[in-house]
Amino acid sequence: MFARISEAIDSRFNINESFKKNVLDHPVPPRVNFTFCFGGITFLLYVLLLVTGIGLLFFYVPSVDHAFTTVEYITFDLPAGNFVRAIHHWSANLMIVFIFFHMLRVFVYGAYKNPREFSWITGVLLFGIVLAFGFTGYLLPWDQKAYWATRVGVLMPGSVPVIGGFITKFLMGGDNIGALTLSRFFALHVAVLPIITAVFLVGHFLMIRKLGVAKPL
Amino acid sequence: MSNQDQCQSDSRRKFLAAGIGVISGVISVGVGGVVLTSIGAPAVTNKREGKWVEAGSAADLKPGEFNQLSISYDAKDGWLEAKIKQLVYVKVTGDDILALSATCSHLGCNVGYDEKTGGFKCPCHSGIYDATGKNISGPPPRPLDRLDAKIEDGKLKINTATKEE
Repeated sequence: MFARISEAIDSRFNINESFKKNVLDHPVPPRVNFTFCFGGITFLLYVLLLVTGIGLLFFYVPSVDHAFTTVEYITFDLPAGNFVRAIHHWSANLMIVFIFFHMLRVFVYGAYKNPREFSWITGVLLFGIVLAFGFTGYLLPWDQKAYWATRVGVLMPGSVPVIGGFITKFLMGGDNIGALTLSRFFALHVAVLPIITAVFLVGHFLMIRKLGVAKPL
Repeated sequence: MSNQDQCQSDSRRKFLAAGIGVISGVISVGVGGVVLTSIGAPAVTNKREGKWVEAGSAADLKPGEFNQLSISYDAKDGWLEAKIKQLVYVKVTGDDILALSATCSHLGCNVGYDEKTGGFKCPCHSGIYDATGKNISGPPPRPLDRLDAKIEDGKLKINTATKEE
């Protein structure tokens, strides 16, 4: 039955052939090596973060009364909860590492040069967004480390001339780190940043499809 | 490219395509399985456990008729220590204590005591029970749950676990 359904779909949309042509048999320059995988690995980690993040959303409650309790529940009581959280944690850390390797490869190969300047620009913006993901996500467990790390983080922009004080207050949602800080970091982390990331990723990917991978040295 | 080369290259392509498929499958099933396990687990592990709850002084109960009591007790509700409230009807006849859960066996509304018939009526879909809790008309598929009850040191105690009828 499965074969018949897949055949019915394929006879209408020709998915198998276009998958073969556009993915499996997609031409790449000779002598590309494993360092060209770092961008793809970063994307894989982003997908892992989306999936495990949605899993965590089923249990996490972004309020100062319950955030730590729910994280404790996920970690110690929920079957496989610690595993989901661990994948989220390690994928987040590895994502930064692989972005670094990806950028290093692009830099060394000179792949950011004409005509790929906009790939680099969107890439750098994506890197900034990922750092924002890390910063906002770090607060959510609402433990001592989260609180003090965020305190240091939000006070840093305070040294920006003129508007620094406002940026700090905007990030904290007022004069101190509390209920409003947690909920706005949560909103940024699970709604705003994922959508912005998706938009920039689509641009990043369309450009590489259009221009192709830069030839190796 | 000779025929043999073409053939080699084809089988290599097939091998790589299969490899990509297997690796993608393992990652999807692995991560998906772990996430779905944690999402689904509370359906099995987050149980309401029966415990003995004090429901007031036995002397306050009117003998021979149904007394409507609201019992509340602490229970674990996922990550929360929650107060659970439950409505029960208790009738003491001599040494015999009949404790019925007010939860309708149809869709879980609280049934009300009907003074005219001496039985119970559910306000949601007009399920009717008689004075023993037996379902006599309307949609309820089975009688009201009976709860274990006892009187100790003049206090009425009710077990929140429902007995299988």
